[in-house]
Amino acid sequence: MKDILILLFRSKRFIVGFVLFLGILSFALIGPILNPKNPFQMVGGLFSPPSDRFILGTDNLGRDVFTQLMYGTRTSLLIGCTAGLIATTIGVTIGSIAGYKGGIIEEVLMGITNVFITIPSIVILILLSIAIKARSAVVMGLVIGITAWPWTARAVRAQTSSLKTREHIDIARITGFSSLEMIIYEILPYMFSYIFMAFILQFSGGILNEATLSMLGLGPFQTVSLGVMLHWSLLWEAVRTGAWWAFIPPVICLSMTTFSLMSMNTGMDEVFNPRLRRS
Amino acid sequence: MFKMKRFLASLISIVVITTLLGSVSFAQAPVQLPRKETLYVAGMQWGPPTTFNPMAPSPAWPTNRGQHYLIYETLFVYNLLTGKLDPLIGESYSWSVYTLTIKLRKGAKWQDGTPLTAKDVVYSLQLGKKYPLYFSSFWDFVTDVKAKDDLTVVMTLNKDKPFKKRVEVFLNQIFIVPQHIWSKIDTGQKALLEYTNTEPVGSGPYKLLSYSPEQIVLQRDDNYWGIPYYGKPAPKYVVHPIFKSNDAGNLAFERGDVDFSQQFCPEIWKMWEVKKLPVGTWYKKEPYHIPASVPSLYINIHKKPLNNPLVRRALAYAINYPKIAETAMSRYSPPAKSSLIIPVGVPERKYFSQEDVDKYGWKYDPAKAIEILEKQLKAKKGPDGIYVLPDGTRLGPFTAMCPYGWTDWMTSLEVVAESARAVGIDIRTEYPDAPVWVDRRNTGNFDLLMNTPAGGYTPAHPWLRFFEVMEIKGVPPIGQVAYWNFNRYSNKKASSLIEAAAKITDEQKLATIFRELDRIFMKDIPIIPLEYRPWHFYEYNETYWTGFPNENNPTASPLHTAQGIRIFYLIKPKE
Repeated sequence: MKDILILLFRSKRFIVGFVLFLGILSFALIGPILNPKNPFQMVGGLFSPPSDRFILGTDNLGRDVFTQLMYGTRTSLLIGCTAGLIATTIGVTIGSIAGYKGGIIEEVLMGITNVFITIPSIVILILLSIAIKARSAVVMGLVIGITAWPWTARAVRAQTSSLKTREHIDIARITGFSSLEMIIYEILPYMFSYIFMAFILQFSGGILNEATLSMLGLGPFQTVSLGVMLHWSLLWEAVRTGAWWAFIPPVICLSMTTFSLMSMNTGMDEVFNPRLRRS
Repeated sequence: MFKMKRFLASLISIVVITTLLGSVSFAQAPVQLPRKETLYVAGMQWGPPTTFNPMAPSPAWPTNRGQHYLIYETLFVYNLLTGKLDPLIGESYSWSVYTLTIKLRKGAKWQDGTPLTAKDVVYSLQLGKKYPLYFSSFWDFVTDVKAKDDLTVVMTLNKDKPFKKRVEVFLNQIFIVPQHIWSKIDTGQKALLEYTNTEPVGSGPYKLLSYSPEQIVLQRDDNYWGIPYYGKPAPKYVVHPIFKSNDAGNLAFERGDVDFSQQFCPEIWKMWEVKKLPVGTWYKKEPYHIPASVPSLYINIHKKPLNNPLVRRALAYAINYPKIAETAMSRYSPPAKSSLIIPVGVPERKYFSQEDVDKYGWKYDPAKAIEILEKQLKAKKGPDGIYVLPDGTRLGPFTAMCPYGWTDWMTSLEVVAESARAVGIDIRTEYPDAPVWVDRRNTGNFDLLMNTPAGGYTPAHPWLRFFEVMEIKGVPPIGQVAYWNFNRYSNKKASSLIEAAAKITDEQKLATIFRELDRIFMKDIPIIPLEYRPWHFYEYNETYWTGFPNENNPTASPLHTAQGIRIFYLIKPKE
């Protein structure tokens, strides 16, 4: 483990991503503690420009954009993380069972996965979001997670199929492990780095999906997220009226977050992927 | 080389063939119109035009009611500035006790040259008696319409409902159609409503030139019968581009590609204050538009604890009206007052009493709201900051709803929820699709709901607003579909005052009754006025056309309908 960490921190990309992500995380988690303003309080006017009182101005409802940004980033991270965890869990479960078991089980599971891949996930996302009456941040994460798993499942299946032909698997099989034990103790540990990378990708995908849905007006209720902020600024034509502070900060936050996650992901790839690993 | 030539030749022939085919199948494709002779308007048509039949449920611009009367015309046009009906097809009208006599303009004719006579008027009105159409309720108030001669129409009032003002409303609303054309189509309700009328023959100053999913183009009829009376409208062509969204239309307006717009355009003042564009609205300063309707918060007055007028009063004091005017209405509304009468702009302002509002009404005052909750209702604040009444009823969560996408209303409700929570009343917002909202509203199935009582503006305002908020007669119980008084407010005194006001023409007496009704309203609070909205957003860009009326040049009503058609005659191409 220690070796892995040392290896990881040799990758400049990983360091850049990691530091950036830590910064965003502390902005979203510690920020609200240091700045205990209510993000919903209407403190200023319609699109008041940045000033001493409001560093990033106010939005169309006269709410402080900076405070909104902190709470919004937190919600977006929560949704992304929930979505990532759920998608990865489903994907790994289906992929590893299909890959290890093979035969008819593999056919059926991969069939389902392929069906999910062919239906554009945005369609399912929109339909699910409309159907759900009470959309909290966690529910949003759930909805995004259960539409995002198929690619992970396919990749994990491929990895598992190749892993199961290795010798240590045969040895373990002789000792009488059940299929579940085989997957948990003998296969998944060898894919851990891969799964973690898949999670990171799903995490950033989840954040972007939340922004897409929220911009369409299907975001979480009674809460603020980066997508919800963009939604209101679009509705109120902030671009035309020149209220850049209403949409540039959430866009920057959004791209910084996904960039940091992507950068961590490529950094890890450099370390864990033998083909890319440098001596 | 040879191959290349052959390739080029086939390419050219493909292009030529497609162009030819294209010009056949898109015979109505947009032609390049001279910009100096063309007026571009926006905000009246969303989505591709499907029918130009004025009887259909939602015909395309300009054949829908409440739009520019350019192809079809009404008898009279309502003048928002004077509160009177100005002539159009009709020259004058006069009331005796139960009859209304209308004189038509001499020389009026249809665009095909046939004279327009009193028979056409009678025929058009009779259509509403024969079939359920947009103006069929006209026949609740009128029992008979006759053509006395070619230029005179006589209407007989329903003696049980002699509501003259309501009849006058229809004079500005019902399109007159040519009998010689429509009598052939009028073979049944279905045939009448489904007729697409793609070559409309009206009596107005413009004819339909072409239409497509992108735009509708009208061309001036230089043989218009009204030229001796009204002159000739200035633009030779009027085009309504069909935008995909509000912001696309606003951007085109800002660029000068649209001259005259009815779209809600946030922070329009920036266009002349910051960007120095030749853009204007009616007023140069706030509220920029003339307030003419009162979008309000309807309260379910039969559901505990909202059935307690004191709870409603506390809520009324809690709402931040100035904030709604500033953010939701983008400063296009003065802060709402606690009255069903609009205090500024429109003719009804003469009935407004600030004295009554100060004495019986409310305004944004959170301290007063808390005082009512704690002293009068003896409510105690729970650990979550929400008040609980002595009998254990928590003030909320109440759901406040309006249709999704109605941005100014959504914002208003956000402000309502936020300011109520700040006082200690728990309100949550919900934005369903419009049909759901209509259903909940009409059946009375809501806690709090945003709606405009008696929207638009008519000669019958503010009477119509009192009627729609406080008249229970003819309203079915909760659960069934109602068309007004959605929260089923019932007050015998109010009902008798409303009925009395409908029959009175004496201004002094009318003012007294309206004041009394308003006092009852302020005592019982069935709805809470949240903001004022103009009848139309009146926005012009003078890059290509100048002379639009405004506060300093009040030559016509700032409307995209009714007397606002005079604007087409007043503007001039820019030198």
